[in-house]
Amino acid sequence: MNRPEIQDVLYEAPGPKTRRRIRLFTILALLLLAGLLAAIVRQFAVTGQFQPKYWFFFARLTTWRFLGEGLVTTLGAALVGSALAFGMGFLLMRGKIRGNPVLRWLCTALIEFTRGVPTLLFIYFFFLIVPGTGWKLSAFWKITLPCAISACGVVAEALRSGVNAVPKGQREAALSLGYRETKLFYRIIFPQAIRFVIPSLIAELVIVLKDTTFASIVSCADLMQNAKVLISNYDALLSIYLVVAVIYILINYMLNRLSDRVARLLKGGGSAERRAA
Amino acid sequence: MAPTPMIELRQVNKHYGRLHVLQNISLTIGKGEVVVVIGPSGSGKSTLCRAINRLETIDSGEIFIEGQPLPQEGKPLAEMRSRIGMVFQSFNLFAHRTILDNVMMAPMDVKGISKAEARKEAMRLLERVGVADQAKKVPAQLSGGQQQRAAIARALAMHPDVMLFDEPTSALDPEMIGEVLSVMTELAREGMTMLVVTHEMNFARSVSDRVLFMEGGCILEDSPSEEFFLQPREERARAFIQSVQESRK
Repeated sequence: MNRPEIQDVLYEAPGPKTRRRIRLFTILALLLLAGLLAAIVRQFAVTGQFQPKYWFFFARLTTWRFLGEGLVTTLGAALVGSALAFGMGFLLMRGKIRGNPVLRWLCTALIEFTRGVPTLLFIYFFFLIVPGTGWKLSAFWKITLPCAISACGVVAEALRSGVNAVPKGQREAALSLGYRETKLFYRIIFPQAIRFVIPSLIAELVIVLKDTTFASIVSCADLMQNAKVLISNYDALLSIYLVVAVIYILINYMLNRLSDRVARLLKGGGSAERRAA
Repeated sequence: MAPTPMIELRQVNKHYGRLHVLQNISLTIGKGEVVVVIGPSGSGKSTLCRAINRLETIDSGEIFIEGQPLPQEGKPLAEMRSRIGMVFQSFNLFAHRTILDNVMMAPMDVKGISKAEARKEAMRLLERVGVADQAKKVPAQLSGGQQQRAAIARALAMHPDVMLFDEPTSALDPEMIGEVLSVMTELAREGMTMLVVTHEMNFARSVSDRVLFMEGGCILEDSPSEEFFLQPREERARAFIQSVQESRK
């Protein structure tokens, strides 16, 4: 499938002069990038970051197992957190769209509150305030719940924008056939709305995943926390953070690719077949 | 006593802000009658059509369907709507489901008909409107004419007592108008009660029993079709027919 790139849509095709200029800037940018990389490597060498004492432990299986355990916790917290955020976001969206004025106002307030407050504050709340109330939570929930709460308002708004994007005619057609509100929503509106917003929901999953890196605050042994343990064990800050950063980038990159594919599958599917026919 | 009319409007009024879009409309449509509504845009003909199944609310007046007042909300309204089929200008097929699903869904969801039975009936209807071979495709893969015929099949699947058509061919390319009109013509021949908002003068002349000419929220003329086209009583109706026919040349 030949999808137009964004620059084809936004800008006209470059002429010969522009093409020459683009080539020049591309070469300049590449040179700059190479220079930057060289400077980093040089600085690493100068400060002795390539010394074996900073890297030898990556040859040990236990290191990777330890990081792997952290990764499992991170993924678990991100997935459970996202699922909770989706559930809560769905309820908030329903409350804001339907419901009586009081419920609508309450849901709007909750959405704005959870969207406006930084995740870290929710985490401190669960870390410092909640234990005082006698509510015993494991470290896993102390990170997962605040991440979910922090994301649910954004999810609610994403879902709502999807619902609003469903053409009015879909609703009218269903009403004219005798559908009532609840069935109409679940059978006609929501299945279409969710297709519109899956990419932004997956983007939100990436944010939840990144938020879980605060887990060390509540002593939850996620990837970040285990990395910190390794750092204090081996006194090797840069090498470990570098490896952990690469792991996070890889996961989020895969999620973004997944989002692109799902979006293309849902949006392009029908029209692509039609073009082929 | 005269038989109960299929649709009856008594002194219906509606305003959009300061615009008086339906002005004291009274109208009866008998069982099996085919009534065409014509008039310039903004004359209130779509609003009239949509008021009959309460997609548009009215400010005052009464609407009766087979002698029963049109319910205002809830289950009674939904049940009444299921007896009134509607075809839209923009087809409004459910974009996320196949053509077959589009025709099967409402009988299953609203009437609780079994899947097997709904499928059989849906295929029969799709056959009838000539798009059975497209049953497994999604709406976006069909031409406008095919989509509109499928939309008619979807409405018929509820076995309505009356069909409302709100400019069913206005969004179609010229070469597809004929296929939709022929399905509608066939439906009319079978005795379906129909209210059709349209600009298709030939359809109005050859298929309908009565023509309503609307302008500025009023029904200016309500005549048997032949009479209307041979010698419209209203000067403005005459001018309108002429202008439409000239634009079609």
